[in-house]
Amino acid sequence: MLWLAEREVLRVLKLWTQTIAAPIVSSFLFIVVFGLALSGRISPVRGVDYDLFIVPGLMIMAMAQAAYANNSTSLFQARNDRYLNDILSAPLRSWEVLVGLTLGGVVRAVLIGAGVFALAVPAVGIGVEQPLVLLAAVGFALALFAALGVVVGIYAQTFDHAGFVNTLVILPLTFLGGVFYSVDVLPDPWRDVSHANPIFYLVQAVRYGFLGQSDVSPVLALTITGLLAVAVVAWSAWLFSTGRRLKA
Amino acid sequence: MLAAPALRLTGLTKTYDAVGGRFQALDGVDLTIADGDFFGLLGPNGAGKTTLISAVCNLIRLTGGEISVFGMAHDTMAARRAVGLAEQDVNLDRFLDVEETLVYHGGYFGMTRRAARARAREMMDVFDLRAKAGVRAPALSGGMRRRLLLARALMHEPRLVILDEPTAGVDFELRIELWRYIRRLHAHGTTILLTTHYLEEAEELCREIALLRGGRVIARDTAANLRQTYAADSLAGVYVKAMAA
Repeated sequence: MLWLAEREVLRVLKLWTQTIAAPIVSSFLFIVVFGLALSGRISPVRGVDYDLFIVPGLMIMAMAQAAYANNSTSLFQARNDRYLNDILSAPLRSWEVLVGLTLGGVVRAVLIGAGVFALAVPAVGIGVEQPLVLLAAVGFALALFAALGVVVGIYAQTFDHAGFVNTLVILPLTFLGGVFYSVDVLPDPWRDVSHANPIFYLVQAVRYGFLGQSDVSPVLALTITGLLAVAVVAWSAWLFSTGRRLKA
Repeated sequence: MLAAPALRLTGLTKTYDAVGGRFQALDGVDLTIADGDFFGLLGPNGAGKTTLISAVCNLIRLTGGEISVFGMAHDTMAARRAVGLAEQDVNLDRFLDVEETLVYHGGYFGMTRRAARARAREMMDVFDLRAKAGVRAPALSGGMRRRLLLARALMHEPRLVILDEPTAGVDFELRIELWRYIRRLHAHGTTILLTTHYLEEAEELCREIALLRGGRVIARDTAANLRQTYAADSLAGVYVKAMAA
């Protein structure tokens, strides 16, 4: 399992400009442009300066996308190039293969999160108000999106399928999940619609961890994010234990 | 007490769901390969050779039947460790260089880092890959990739080596070189299961041969006995008659 995890991390590090640097730069540009450049023209949200307000959402968005994209592309490539057979024929239990493949996305996301945080601290002075909540929220987020990447990597028939989920599902839901605004300012029915977006709860849990403030109770936010994570991890574990879609 | 056979297949069945219906790739295959044998599996495309190999290596889900490797169920960790596979298609990890490909494979198969590194160096020397140690698989020539596939299959010193058309698409010199290495491997006690479309290769190398057609074993014997049974003067003659029957 550790060899497989190491291989996944090695892949991430070999492609570091694309896998680590690019998402950090992209998130930091959002902070600079929307936060620092425009925050003087935007009122504080719930008493929090706008440049601070957007950092938690941007950070978890970058981490979630990285965990998902890493695992979906890595697994799809492994299937497409058929070198997955070398792993499936090895004396590794299905859970070991699953954990090994999943960890690559988790490590990549953690490196990105650490990078964004390291830049955000001097830029906007962000701190961590509720470290345990933040830890739980990030843990659930990484489990959820890393496992989702594995599931899509198993089902995808083309590279486009993996990209499709990221571009047309995860990204819009994240943007509409209150990364850049508080959903409380939305008129009905959009406020209620936002509450049906699962990523909204993830953003709120992470924001509460950083700022001690969120649009919904942190318990509710963590519960929904945790349940989603459990469901998707169980789905990926089922695929590996049965060999469905992996083995003809 | 008799040693357990290297491979025993009992009533092996595999049906694929295909467009337009179901396809029976293996139809109740019974086959036993003795420990230390050099066994050839011949048959046309679609006969079930690769499906059979994939079943042994846990790469497909069986519809029915049982597989044992040296007396152990094929899906146990010990049985998996005993098998080395060089697939027909070049299936190398594009992100790893030659040395990493070998070392990581060793790791997947339970070797320590130190042992994997030492064995990787040994394999690179044997297969003349040392100069390409830091080159990633996509940058290797076809012949080098073939060598690497074989080196990877042998990394963890398996007792049963399965070679699925190992010389397909390689030049004559490399084919002779690979034959020499495979022979040496067999001489050291490794059981070899070889599939090939080159009948002279099977005749030259294999102690026993099975002919597979439509997912069934239709004949099995030494090349000499098959020639006698089918009243043919070469294995090619046997093959043509057996497949036409």
